[in-house]
Amino acid sequence: MREDDNTLMSQLKRGKTAALAGLVEKYKKQAYFLALGMVGNSDDAYDISQEAFIRVYNSAATFDESKNFFPWFYSIVTNLCRNLLRKRQVHAARTVDIDDVDYMLTDCETPESGLLEDEEKRRLHRALLKLSFSDREIINLNHFRMMSYDEIATLLTIPKGTVMSRLYYARKRLGEYMEKEE
Amino acid sequence: MDPEELKILLAGYQDGELDPEQKRQVEQYLAQSPELRAELEKLNRVKEVTDKVQYKDLPLEVWDTYWQNLYRRLERGIGWIFTSIGAAIVLITGLYYLVKDYFLDAALPLLPKLGVGALIVGGSFLFVSVARQRLFAYNRDRYKEVQR
Repeated sequence: MREDDNTLMSQLKRGKTAALAGLVEKYKKQAYFLALGMVGNSDDAYDISQEAFIRVYNSAATFDESKNFFPWFYSIVTNLCRNLLRKRQVHAARTVDIDDVDYMLTDCETPESGLLEDEEKRRLHRALLKLSFSDREIINLNHFRMMSYDEIATLLTIPKGTVMSRLYYARKRLGEYMEKEE
Repeated sequence: MDPEELKILLAGYQDGELDPEQKRQVEQYLAQSPELRAELEKLNRVKEVTDKVQYKDLPLEVWDTYWQNLYRRLERGIGWIFTSIGAAIVLITGLYYLVKDYFLDAALPLLPKLGVGALIVGGSFLFVSVARQRLFAYNRDRYKEVQR
């Protein structure tokens, strides 16, 4: 996988736009879902995922081919998410719709359980938005992207023990915020 | 073991990420400590909710047109770079010749020069103001990708 990505990146460095299409095909959904978990809005997540690939194209020359593509790409996505969240704070008028939980889906969306689940999704959504960026990041990777501790440790270049402690505190704070939303 | 360290291990215990020795230790403390059991119960409630929720995928047609949209944005980016360079060259040379051949020409009357100068300054102000407002509105338009 790593060789494939890096081969595509070296082709992109030589100006082959088709190589970008290969990377897009492989990572577009990951980019979208990673951003979605961080910004909590599907329009913004879509924009961020596209902008991330434009940055890959524009910064291809700076990519170090001795390293994995995905952590580099991931840092581009998270930086864009950070920038967007910062902008949202500055322009308070352009905040994400607090009750827009359309991007969330539950396993058993039956009419009877619908109302209750909507309320639960809303509580989770609001609590997630209250978390710090780093708490939301670790929750997103583990709970919603289903990544193991080893995978997260590799991606974020932190020890496995740090993944565990970050997850513990993030989960604890998420629980507290969800309780407050009840 | 430090109580805080034990609590941290609870996350790994929930996710099945502990080694057998750590798991044994956690289970031993869980059997002895009601406080630790309450902590695990709280964490389980959070996990229960998050496990039920998934992120909704976008419609297939959005993914089908993803590359075309991206390519269009890339093209526009390149287009904007060349347009900006071209506009800057035209503006600078235009201004240079306007000043040199018109404003500094002593043979031409002063009043029309003042008029042209005022038009340029006023027009520039209006252009910047409208462009800034349009850009501000565009950045906040959630439905800009929707074709009307």
